Amino acid sequence: MINKLLDGLLNPPTPKFHGVMGIWYYVDDATDAVTALRGAGHKNLNVFSPVPHHEIEHALEQGPSLVRWVTAVGGFLGVTGGFALCFYSMGSWPLVIGGKELFSVPPMTVLGYESMILVAGLSNLLGMLALGRLPQLKQVAPYDPRFQEDRIGIWVPCSAAEAAKIEALMKGHAAEEVQVHA
Amino acid sequence: MSSAISKNIAVDGVNDVPDRPVTQKTLNDDVLSMVGWPGKVWWALFLFDLIVLAVALAAVRNLIVQGWGVSGFMRPVMWAVDITNFVFWVGIAHCGTLVSAVLFLFRSHFRRAVYRIAEAMTVFGVLTAAMFPAIHTGRPWFDYWLFPYPNQRQLWTNIRSPLEWDVFAVNTYLTVSSIFFLVGLIPDCAAARDRAKHPVLKLIYTIFSFGWTGANYQWKHFYGAYLFFAALATPLVFSVHSVVSWDFAMAQTPGWHSTLFAPYFVAGAIFSGVGMVIFLLVIIRKGFNLQHLVTIDHMEKLAKLVLLTSCMVGYSYLTEFFMAWYGPSKAERDVFWFRATGHYWWAFWIMFSCNVIFPMSLWFKPVRRNMTALLVLSILVNIGMWFERFVIIVTSLTRTFNPANWFYYKISITELALIVGSFAWFFMFFLVFVRVLPAFSISEIKETLPMPKRRAH
Repeated sequence: MINKLLDGLLNPPTPKFHGVMGIWYYVDDATDAVTALRGAGHKNLNVFSPVPHHEIEHALEQGPSLVRWVTAVGGFLGVTGGFALCFYSMGSWPLVIGGKELFSVPPMTVLGYESMILVAGLSNLLGMLALGRLPQLKQVAPYDPRFQEDRIGIWVPCSAAEAAKIEALMKGHAAEEVQVHA
Repeated sequence: MSSAISKNIAVDGVNDVPDRPVTQKTLNDDVLSMVGWPGKVWWALFLFDLIVLAVALAAVRNLIVQGWGVSGFMRPVMWAVDITNFVFWVGIAHCGTLVSAVLFLFRSHFRRAVYRIAEAMTVFGVLTAAMFPAIHTGRPWFDYWLFPYPNQRQLWTNIRSPLEWDVFAVNTYLTVSSIFFLVGLIPDCAAARDRAKHPVLKLIYTIFSFGWTGANYQWKHFYGAYLFFAALATPLVFSVHSVVSWDFAMAQTPGWHSTLFAPYFVAGAIFSGVGMVIFLLVIIRKGFNLQHLVTIDHMEKLAKLVLLTSCMVGYSYLTEFFMAWYGPSKAERDVFWFRATGHYWWAFWIMFSCNVIFPMSLWFKPVRRNMTALLVLSILVNIGMWFERFVIIVTSLTRTFNPANWFYYKISITELALIVGSFAWFFMFFLVFVRVLPAFSISEIKETLPMPKRRAH
């Protein structure tokens, strides 16, 4: 029963997709296909691969990730929050301990610094998950386990009318396999 | 088709096993073959580990129920084995972040084959370390008092105390290193998920992989974030052990009050951590027949890191003695003389031999490339580093300024159980880790393989 439940949870019914999926082994062939597809006006394609390939990133004209801004904001909030906590906690019960200065900057720096790293790290994680659309609970394209091994997949969402043209283009760029989802 | 990727470029020189072709697919096969239902040896080790852990838990129960009187603690030595263990395990943890983050920023490719083990060691090391201050409070159910939280009487933690800095530093380190570890696992768990047969294992990998598909937008933000994790973790490595060293250096106690402590502790932490990584890797590469992934060159590079940090640690020891002799404090001079010749001379010389004298054998290439020698040295290094913390803590506390307070601290059976138990606790996590999660980074090692290209460049 548990196995059945898990099976249902882990293998949800595959949604219906409309588009063409091409599968490549050679990186340069896949890169050429990306360039050609984008040249043909298919800008919203997705590429699946076991490792990131710089050639494909360039062909996709991917800019740098925006995660850095999320991290920077997190770091700023962290350091501000850390210092604020120190000032507030010292001021709310002003008790001099060991003759040390009440509002002492060196220990605050340690706490402010650690808080900055902590909040920046958490923001970095949240930024990565949000921008990378993770956790991905719903499939956005047909998936093939070979994408985690040694194959590169290019998914072009399109209508049935365009599928034949895209299929021909992919085959023209030495795709090992082309699957049409109409 | 696979000829383009038939050579494993991770092998820079002569390996200790015949070279085996590595392709993207065989890499998945090799790493994921470690994952699965364990054999008899694993079960025997795990059972033994749990028995040791049970003894240690009985010791913890005694400490809590009967109080700290069952330990060898007596004023002025109120810190001894607990804090020795704490510093030792935080030190062990440091190497993981060094290998994964610092070497990532320096684009040091040899890290790819070893960093997952080192990162796991970090997380488990911090989990082990954090237990000791928690137990040492004597009433662990009040440990939440260590955290600043709004309360009825507006009482806050004393943020001017270095012990409070530790709370922030260690918890930040645990959080960031755990995130770094888990994020790195995402693509590899996706590979494991796709192969998992058992539904429970599939569920575990589905959770750890966050539904990863390897899409271009996922890789883009994954590496965007990974770079920042490395950039954040790097200063964190240095800051955390500096903060740990300030637990001592901020006090006036002779032998502790030194500005040398932060770099000295950081070097020592990396030294012991790399020692532990070598220990684990020698066993894992042999046990799982993965000598073609973790090559003898990788091991030699780690050995060089041990040699470098051994020199730094040795230099720090000598500097301490020189400054005690050269400086104005008689108490400082006496403590250092006491360390080398007093009641605990044996601990001092174990420390010095294991940390400075024996690692000097690593100047010789045949030693660096001999796995048995590395295994023995890694054990000696960790014995030496445990004793380093013991020497620093115990010899200084037994010889404070007032001779009327001098005391001879003797370790109790309860404390011995805690030391052994900490290793059992650490290895319990590790044994489960190597059988459940990919212990080597498939995606990062894959990046070192030549990618298949139809056109030769």
